[in-house]
Amino acid sequence: MGSVSIRDARKSYGSVEILHGVSVDIADGEFVVLVGPSGCGKSTLLRMLAGLEEISGGEIAIDGKVVNALPPKERDIAMVFQSYALYPHMTVAQNMGFSLKLARAPKEEIKRRVTVAAQMLGLDPYLERYPRQLSGGQRQRVAMGRAMVRNPKVFLFDEPLSNLDAKLRVQMRSEIKQNHQRLKTTTVYVTHDQIEAMTMADRIVVMHDGIVEQIGTPLELYDYPNNLFVAAFIGSPSMNILGGKLVGGRFVAADGTAIELPYAPAGEDGRAVSLGVRPEHFVLDAEGIDAEIITVEPTGSETQVAMRFAGHEVVGVFRERITGLPGEKLRVKPDHDRIHLFDSKSGQRIQHA
Amino acid sequence: MHRQSTGYLFVLPALLVLGLLIAYPVAYTGLLSVTDNQGNYVGVENFARILGARATPTAFVNTLWWVFGSIVFQVILGVLAAILLNQNFRGRAIVRSVTLIPWVVPGIVAATTWAWMLHTEFGIINYMLTAPGIVPEPVGWLTNGSTVLPVMIAINIWKMFPFVAIMVLAGLQSIPNDLYEAARIDGASFWEEVWYVMLPQVRPVIIAVTLLLVIWALNHITIIYAITRGGPANRTLITPIQIFRTAFESVQFNQAAALSVMFFAVAIVVVFVYIRTLASNAGEAR
Ligand SMILES: Nc1ncnc2c1ncn2[C@@H]1O[C@H](COP(=O)(O)OP(=O)(O)OP(=O)(O)O)[C@@H](O)[C@H]1O
Ligand SMILES: [Mg+2]
Repeated sequence: MGSVSIRDARKSYGSVEILHGVSVDIADGEFVVLVGPSGCGKSTLLRMLAGLEEISGGEIAIDGKVVNALPPKERDIAMVFQSYALYPHMTVAQNMGFSLKLARAPKEEIKRRVTVAAQMLGLDPYLERYPRQLSGGQRQRVAMGRAMVRNPKVFLFDEPLSNLDAKLRVQMRSEIKQNHQRLKTTTVYVTHDQIEAMTMADRIVVMHDGIVEQIGTPLELYDYPNNLFVAAFIGSPSMNILGGKLVGGRFVAADGTAIELPYAPAGEDGRAVSLGVRPEHFVLDAEGIDAEIITVEPTGSETQVAMRFAGHEVVGVFRERITGLPGEKLRVKPDHDRIHLFDSKSGQRIQHA
Repeated sequence: MHRQSTGYLFVLPALLVLGLLIAYPVAYTGLLSVTDNQGNYVGVENFARILGARATPTAFVNTLWWVFGSIVFQVILGVLAAILLNQNFRGRAIVRSVTLIPWVVPGIVAATTWAWMLHTEFGIINYMLTAPGIVPEPVGWLTNGSTVLPVMIAINIWKMFPFVAIMVLAGLQSIPNDLYEAARIDGASFWEEVWYVMLPQVRPVIIAVTLLLVIWALNHITIIYAITRGGPANRTLITPIQIFRTAFESVQFNQAAALSVMFFAVAIVVVFVYIRTLASNAGEAR
């Protein structure tokens, strides 16, 4: 059992506060991904959870027990570092069994648990090798094995895949996910890669400049981003944002193009708003609005088109094969039911009335 | 090809000078060891004589004590100091510099200072011990046969442990912080971190430094000669000092040379081990 509760956690280095009160509740067995741009404080939060960084304010509880003052060894957590941090002078087996050895576990017990973890990760042929004799992906597995052997309450991962090449990253991503489904250990996973977050997480915590922007399941964040930051951060290619204002219950862009809204927002005419349309939510429609093609990039299964639409440069992704040349016109419109509307000043989502 | 030979031409003068500076004394010592003071060839007579001298076995045993006593404590103390200096604490920079002082002080200055501090009647050490009554009467540190060699060893330890500390500290600082953090997460206490992470990582440094210390201890003259000249009653006579005294006090250059040659052979073995170890460490690191 390993629930995690972070309540108004703050972190300052000297007089500079870099985490401004973060609250997250993580249920037992959940896979939560902390995601956000570089420097937003993800690693710092994770390290506070691990006990490697002091907690300047607020409270962190693991399994109902406040751990603010506990050293890492008493928190029953295991961590996988970005650099893997394998002990270079120990073999794979010794690396994996180190925590058990420190805990004075009997030799056979250590051996048994290392063997089980090694089999799970496909590491049995390498148990007697040293880390320098392994490939990047194998080292990554050893780092995970070292965490798994302990059977901790919580796994912490800090960008564990960022040193791997693209193909291996996809493979390890699914392996981590599979291991989680087997072990059901509460996991907090840090990444700045939103695709990793979307594909792995039960729930995603989007962070930005030391605050939490939104917490939700991947699809919640995709379908209902709370604000412009989350809207632009989640999804690839990222959401198109058009600036304009409300006129008579419709959105009117700066160049005068009017777009029907699925709901008439409670708001006076002339309110400055931003319209969000995901690239995949543009549709070809003879009744639509003229868009001028800038580039066309077919990927085979779909076609990505950069185009000038309502005075903005936007990206659309279409299932259809589009063969237009740059400068030619295309008639498109945003999928009416999937339009997002934000207040331009606060950046907050404007909800259905 | 052409380039290469030109290169050799340029370093040739330096190589020649270096070769002469090293090879000539060695060769000449070898020659001295098998001749008498008239320059006549005498075979192994010098060797037999010096080996037969009463002082020789004494010096040999003293040398063993001197080397092992010095090395063990220099390394232990040096490593502990390095671990301490590797911690984050206020005034660390100052402590680091202060630690280096014994190593920076010239040997002869250190020897003279210690000789005064250890003086039986006027030395500060006896004063500090007798004034509060810790010992009933002054200890003859440098005149008492059972204390004099340990005292010399202690001074040598004091002189050299900063060197060990600085070398090991440099090694410790190249250990990535991640490893300590991983160890802490794995549940290591501070001393377990030291034992399982720090020491294995600086093992090559410790080995290299130890071998250097052995070589230096084997060649040592300054402190002992400046304080006791090998006395009292040969209690601090180590082989290098015996060689020096045989040559320049007894004016037995040929016997001194014979002893040098044997001593040189021992030193060569140590140097050889040193180079082999360094080479294999370099291979292992890759
Ligand atoms: N020891 C420190 N002293 C002062 N500021 C620090 C320290 N460590 C981190 N910071 C600051 O805290 C902020 C958050 O750092 P953190 O490492 O948590 O970012 P991150 O979200 O993990 O970014 P990345 O994706 O690049 O790893 C950064 O602005 C960083 O400059
Ligand atoms: Mg980080």
